[in-house]
Amino acid sequence: MLLDVEHLNVFYDKAMLLNDINMGVDTGELVSLVGPNGAGKSTLLRAVTGLVARDREISKRSTGGDVVLQGLIRFENIQIQNIHAHEIVKMGLVHCPERRRPFREMTVRDNLLAGAYLIKDRDKTMSNLAKVYDLFPVLKGRGSQISGTLSGGEQQMLAIGRALMTEPRLLCIDEPSTGLAPILRAEVFEKISEVSRLGITVLLVEQEVGAVFAMSSRNYVLSSGRIIAEGTGEKLLKDEVIRKTYLGL
Amino acid sequence: MLLDIIVSGLISGSMFALLAIGFSLIFGVARIVNIAHTAFYMIAAYCIFFFTQRMGVGPIPAMFMAIIIVTFLGLIAYRFFIEPIREHEAAVLIGTIALAIAMQEVMLLFFTGDFLSVPSLLEGFFSLMGVKIFFQQLLTFGAVLTILIALWLMLMKTRLGLAVRCMAEDREVANLMGINERRVAMATMGISVGLAAFTGAVVVPLTILNPFMWMEPLIIMMAVVVLGGLGSLKGSFIGAYILGFTEALVVFLIPKGAFLKGSVALSIMILVLIIRPEGLFGIAFEEER
Ligand SMILES: Nc1ncnc2c1ncn2[C@@H]1O[C@H](COP(=O)(O)OP(=O)(O)OP(=O)(O)O)[C@@H](O)[C@H]1O
Ligand SMILES: [Mg+2]
Repeated sequence: MLLDVEHLNVFYDKAMLLNDINMGVDTGELVSLVGPNGAGKSTLLRAVTGLVARDREISKRSTGGDVVLQGLIRFENIQIQNIHAHEIVKMGLVHCPERRRPFREMTVRDNLLAGAYLIKDRDKTMSNLAKVYDLFPVLKGRGSQISGTLSGGEQQMLAIGRALMTEPRLLCIDEPSTGLAPILRAEVFEKISEVSRLGITVLLVEQEVGAVFAMSSRNYVLSSGRIIAEGTGEKLLKDEVIRKTYLGL
Repeated sequence: MLLDIIVSGLISGSMFALLAIGFSLIFGVARIVNIAHTAFYMIAAYCIFFFTQRMGVGPIPAMFMAIIIVTFLGLIAYRFFIEPIREHEAAVLIGTIALAIAMQEVMLLFFTGDFLSVPSLLEGFFSLMGVKIFFQQLLTFGAVLTILIALWLMLMKTRLGLAVRCMAEDREVANLMGINERRVAMATMGISVGLAAFTGAVVVPLTILNPFMWMEPLIIMMAVVVLGGLGSLKGSFIGAYILGFTEALVVFLIPKGAFLKGSVALSIMILVLIIRPEGLFGIAFEEER
């Protein structure tokens, strides 16, 4: 497995946000993580990419509540549950966060270059930049636009493009379709399958079950901090209980 | 009269800009409100006095030595004193006030409370349309402008500058791009204190030294930052010149205006807080996790 999560528990201030999570992603897969609001999907991505450990460190040094992370997270068989987020990126495990979060006051180009922060080879960065512009033609020719002035869909493309600039091996994307019009959602999903076809492994968090099940190889259903089902879209949709209770279909 | 106001406004505006930008930088990157910022400026001024007047070092080497020593001091203070309490805003505020007072007391010990001064690097002046412009003023202005341009280039053109801008906007996402927050915060602290030291070093021939000389610029700097919007470098820059020119206007246009000089900063600060608390270019900080 490229990513391996074993018996992962996460507590924020005594509230258990993740409860005995066991999951994994294999090289080349597109795995989706679905579930209702507040299930803990984002928290799972945050734990995997070092942000929960970061929160834990901050909470230790301030008056914030306690953050606890238990269990094992392995990326390419290396334990990463206590590694800093910026070191995890270096290993190729990259997080495209919820709500897109572009650097709003910076230009499109600078946002993309921020993604290439760790890549010191200038030529490589420039060729990656060209690839990202090819993948997202909406960004082409707008390098000097301030990214806060982009539309929601464009900002999502920018966020994914920025994450691609880090040269990820496993790209975790959190709810890319939120707040977008239906046509744009379809476009975002199309881009994500294109990323997957480029050979980048993807772990995708989404609420839009229909679209995601059509493109993913496997799925996990998360609810109240637990994984309650796993399998192909076809299999999950056949299960009446899962459909009605957890997927709202 | 008009020229007087322009010269005076430009020079004090530039000094305020240097101080306020340094203060804003470390606030933007690490959310540290460093009350001791102008105390580092005071130490740099004393360094210049000590090296040039007591050790006989030339003014230019003295300036480099002062900047290096003060920056180093700032980094040590940051690493061992501010960084451990960094995530705790109230502690940072109290801690840096304590730091400033400690530096003031040390200077009192070494140099007593006497008013000291350092002669100009360049003597003489020239007259432009009846206004005396001292060469030292011109030199100071030129040096400040050079540093401001260098800083801008650093921010916009270098890798560290990119990291600084990313962290000022969203520390968590910056971290997700592989930016080492601790290291960038440390580097920014170095630049911030370095700017304070530079300001102290170039201003010293134009001012009078005493261990309490950090308080007035602290208030002015706070007013600039409030006016420009906390965390906005552009705001600090523009706010500094607005304040510089307002001070000059008050001094030259109001009879006995020089006595009112000190109240300009405070009045502007209070006005801004009442009318537009976020300042000219204030950003509403998104809640970060
Ligand atoms: N810092 C925090 N402290 C305490 N509780 C938190 C914190 N962050 C999230 N939670 C809680 O943890 C639960 C899971 O949150 P999470 O964001 O992981 O859900 P999600 O599945 O991503 O939901 P959504 O689909 O709305 O994005 C929620 O009930 C949330 O309120
Ligand atoms: Mg979420």
